[in-house]
Amino acid sequence: MIKRALLVFSMAVLAIAAGCTKDETTSRDADLAGVNVAVGEKIGPFGKLFVLNEGNFQKNNSTLDFLRFSDGNYVSDAVGSMNPAVVQGLGDTGNDLCLFAGRLWAAMNGSGVVQVVDANDETLLASVPVPDPRYLAFSGINVFVSSYAGAVYGGEETKGKVYRISLDTFKTDAEVEVGCQPEGLAVSAGTLFVANSGGYNYVHENTVSVIDLTTFKVTRTVPVASNLRLMVPDDNGGVWVSSYGESTWTQDAGGNWIQSMSEPMGLYHVTSSFAVQQAKDVHVSCMTKCDDGYIYTIGNAAELTGGYDNTLYKVSAKDGSVVSKSLSGTDASAVGNPYGICVNPKNGDIYIADADYTGPGKVWCFTKDLQKKWVAVAGMLPAHMVLF
Amino acid sequence: MLLSAILSLLLLSPVPEVQKDQPAPVVRQAQHLPECNPERSEGSDTLKAARVSSTAGSLIVPQRIESHELRSVTSISEAVRRFAGVQLRDYGGIGGLKTVNVRSLGSEHTGVFIDGIQIDNAQNMQVDLGRFGLEDIRSVSLFSGQKVSPLQSAKEYSSASALYLESAEPVFKDGSRNNTIVSLGAGSFGTWSPRLSLEHLFKDGKSLRIGCEAVATAGKYRFHVSDYRLYPDGTVAGYDTTMIRRNGDLRSARFDARLYSSPDSRSSWNLHAHFYDSERGLPGPVYKREGGYPLSEDRQSDLDAFLQGRLSLRLSDVWSFAARSKLSFSHLEYVDVPELRPELPAAHFNYLNHSAYLSAAAMARLGNHLRLNFAQDLQYDYLDADLMDFAYPGRLSSWSCASAMYGLRTVELSATMLFLDVHDTFLSGGERSSARRNVLMPSFVARWKPSERFSVDGFVKRSYRMPTFNDLYYTTVGSKTLDPEDAFQTDLGARWTALSGSGHTLQFNADIYRNILKNKIIAVPTSNQFRWSMYNIGKVSVLGADLVADYAFREGRLALGGTARYTYQSARDMTEGRGQIPYIPLHSGSANLFGEAGGWRMDVTIFMTGERYTTSANLPAYRIAPWQTIDAALSKSLSSRGHDYSFKLCLRNILDEQYEIVDNYPMPGFNFLLKVEATL
Repeated sequence: MIKRALLVFSMAVLAIAAGCTKDETTSRDADLAGVNVAVGEKIGPFGKLFVLNEGNFQKNNSTLDFLRFSDGNYVSDAVGSMNPAVVQGLGDTGNDLCLFAGRLWAAMNGSGVVQVVDANDETLLASVPVPDPRYLAFSGINVFVSSYAGAVYGGEETKGKVYRISLDTFKTDAEVEVGCQPEGLAVSAGTLFVANSGGYNYVHENTVSVIDLTTFKVTRTVPVASNLRLMVPDDNGGVWVSSYGESTWTQDAGGNWIQSMSEPMGLYHVTSSFAVQQAKDVHVSCMTKCDDGYIYTIGNAAELTGGYDNTLYKVSAKDGSVVSKSLSGTDASAVGNPYGICVNPKNGDIYIADADYTGPGKVWCFTKDLQKKWVAVAGMLPAHMVLF
Repeated sequence: MLLSAILSLLLLSPVPEVQKDQPAPVVRQAQHLPECNPERSEGSDTLKAARVSSTAGSLIVPQRIESHELRSVTSISEAVRRFAGVQLRDYGGIGGLKTVNVRSLGSEHTGVFIDGIQIDNAQNMQVDLGRFGLEDIRSVSLFSGQKVSPLQSAKEYSSASALYLESAEPVFKDGSRNNTIVSLGAGSFGTWSPRLSLEHLFKDGKSLRIGCEAVATAGKYRFHVSDYRLYPDGTVAGYDTTMIRRNGDLRSARFDARLYSSPDSRSSWNLHAHFYDSERGLPGPVYKREGGYPLSEDRQSDLDAFLQGRLSLRLSDVWSFAARSKLSFSHLEYVDVPELRPELPAAHFNYLNHSAYLSAAAMARLGNHLRLNFAQDLQYDYLDADLMDFAYPGRLSSWSCASAMYGLRTVELSATMLFLDVHDTFLSGGERSSARRNVLMPSFVARWKPSERFSVDGFVKRSYRMPTFNDLYYTTVGSKTLDPEDAFQTDLGARWTALSGSGHTLQFNADIYRNILKNKIIAVPTSNQFRWSMYNIGKVSVLGADLVADYAFREGRLALGGTARYTYQSARDMTEGRGQIPYIPLHSGSANLFGEAGGWRMDVTIFMTGERYTTSANLPAYRIAPWQTIDAALSKSLSSRGHDYSFKLCLRNILDEQYEIVDNYPMPGFNFLLKVEATL
């Protein structure tokens, strides 16, 4: 009896010890010190804010950073540091970053690969070759990747594709042809929506392709607006999709040339019954869907007149109601070029990736009232962020 | 310079005897009067060429590499990278673009001139030095600042700095009227370059050279990709792997015909027809390509042709006159190959540049102290391309220039005012629109030369470079509102001949300079950041120093010597929080040692470039490691039965250094070129 009690006790101790040990070693990246930019804090379930820096085109300098909430340290190039023997690191031009089941998925556009990274310790788990990957979306058992599929600018009009990656094998197992130069995509109530930009065509595309996930075939093509780009689900079987807009040059009375948008970088709602409606006066440079049920975008409210007025929009994913606030006059007016946005559903903090054109960018954290909490120096063209 | 010559000839001491092949052309240029003085033979290689040199008589003495030192290189870019104050931008390999950036102002601010007439490119203002042959070239000179010489064209005043390639006139042995020169080069990367050159001396003294050269290379070479990181616990981890540079092949053919007027007359002229045709692979930058993702298979073909001529006349004791003209055409075809979809056709982009240039310059010599130079240049450029919504830009440029040179005893002064008026027309929204830009470019040069052995000079110059057609009109990227880039240069220099005589020469040159570059044209995101556009927002402040020490000992057929060149450039991006601008090292330099004996010549050249950054945010992640390379060359000339033969072996990067000049464009490791030549 005593023996049995001892056995149970010692096993319990061992289990606790193992559990403690496990807790202490889950983050092998704990040694990565980084730069302290903020006061450590506990924010709900989140331990890190991951930042994918796109890097410069064909410079192979795309990197993955993170901010560790517990100590407020910003760690640059974590994938490079945790996988030093991987030749040429993460790769070229990271175009999208998603989190799914404890893994980060990064679409490396220039390198033709989707990288799968352990979100706990940034270990590179797999590299899935996909030509020209652009954006990512998930269903329960698959990852979907939009792809330009080898099209070249100025060449023949070439349809893009969506590739399906199996989460079991880390291999592509199906592909479907969509419109030209597909960009954002989203799974909504078992249906995959894909935004076609047609950015290489003389006349841009204006459609969303709708794909049935069971047959993996295009069932419908919905006209929405010219040059579509980012997409998020609406929790109602439809999606919200943004446009790159269309730009034009005009001459003012003094003969000076002004570049402005002839079509806005707008936001459109495609409902589950494929009705299309434009969100009024919403401009989208970057966009995120937050778990609080809102879509957050930053855009230039003065883009149609060639002016500059960066504005934050909070759009209800359900009913499309909009609340907007200009960044000017707030701490966020210091953001030069909003290139990516992420919102913390627990405390409403807004993270803005601020891209620079000649050097490394910044990541800003503001409260929901746009008061500055911290700012960190990121890599080249920080753009895509997820909370883990 | 000319003034000093006149002064020394007329007023002061007699001209001292000139050392054969003396590097600094201090006094030798006194003979190079534009009015075509009777010939004076000096070096064996420059027999007839002494008369009209477009770099002769400059008030500012250029850095110069001449025929003997040119024997140790195989291309113009190899010679240019030796100069102090210069950063050669080299994308690697024989077909890789090679441009020159002087004193951190950017390659667009450096004019490249062949026999005094600029090689132009209104599309992007990039001159690829890899396209011009070395064989016809007598000297390569760099004016880091203002060139002031008699009968200069207005355009020659306009660029911030100028690289001059001077052709050599044919040299004929006694009684001979024809030369046939054949040569064959062979070397690394599967490179072959045969050349045939025919020279003829007409009875009336005119001479003609026709040269044809072909270059073919497979262009493959190995390079290393490596990255090591140091961890806080002291461990080092990383990778080092070998890759092969592919799609760097090149085939080119070059044809040059040059006709020179007879030497001993009051007028002189020359005509030059040039034709270059090439087809090459564009290997692109090295970056990660996963799982069979193909490398770049893009191609580029070029056809460049020009006809240029120059005439100078001495009208009277007071007036002389020069005219220059050039017609040029170039066709660039870029082929974007869809490597991922081989079944698709490639995208072809064609650009056709047309250009016509006319210049007239007049010089008046008023007394012994004052010279006035007037010049008016006109040029028309037109760019045609098969792009959608292309602007079809045309540009009429007018340079008007007045310059005065004054010299008294030991002091020489020159002041220049140049007015550039540029009128563009372009298609926008179906209508032909126009834009006008004009700038004034003043400059002032002074030299004090208390003795033949020592001088101090300086200049102040403001120059502008116009936005290129690509900057302004490139579909979706171009910005029609751009202003010219504004370069303000000040320089103070000293030249000292420490040793001269009994075979020894030892010279020192030192320059310190400050350049301010404003309105630098940079691509930035627009209000819609997914459409990048060009803006005038850059500002760069350069504080630099160029130091050159040159020693030579000559006795009979024996010669030994060396040149050391050092460059310091603090080139700061004036944007807040920024440091050294991309690709400019704080410290760089080169050293050349040579020995000659009995027709043999041996050269060893070392290049050193300090650390650089790929962005002006000088963080460790963007650092490019310093690099050093050593080149060696061995050459031999001999004569047998009235024919001349020579061979040279150039060994480049003999330490097999792995380095990059442009980020992600690896340079080749050890490579060589062997060349044999016969003059029949």
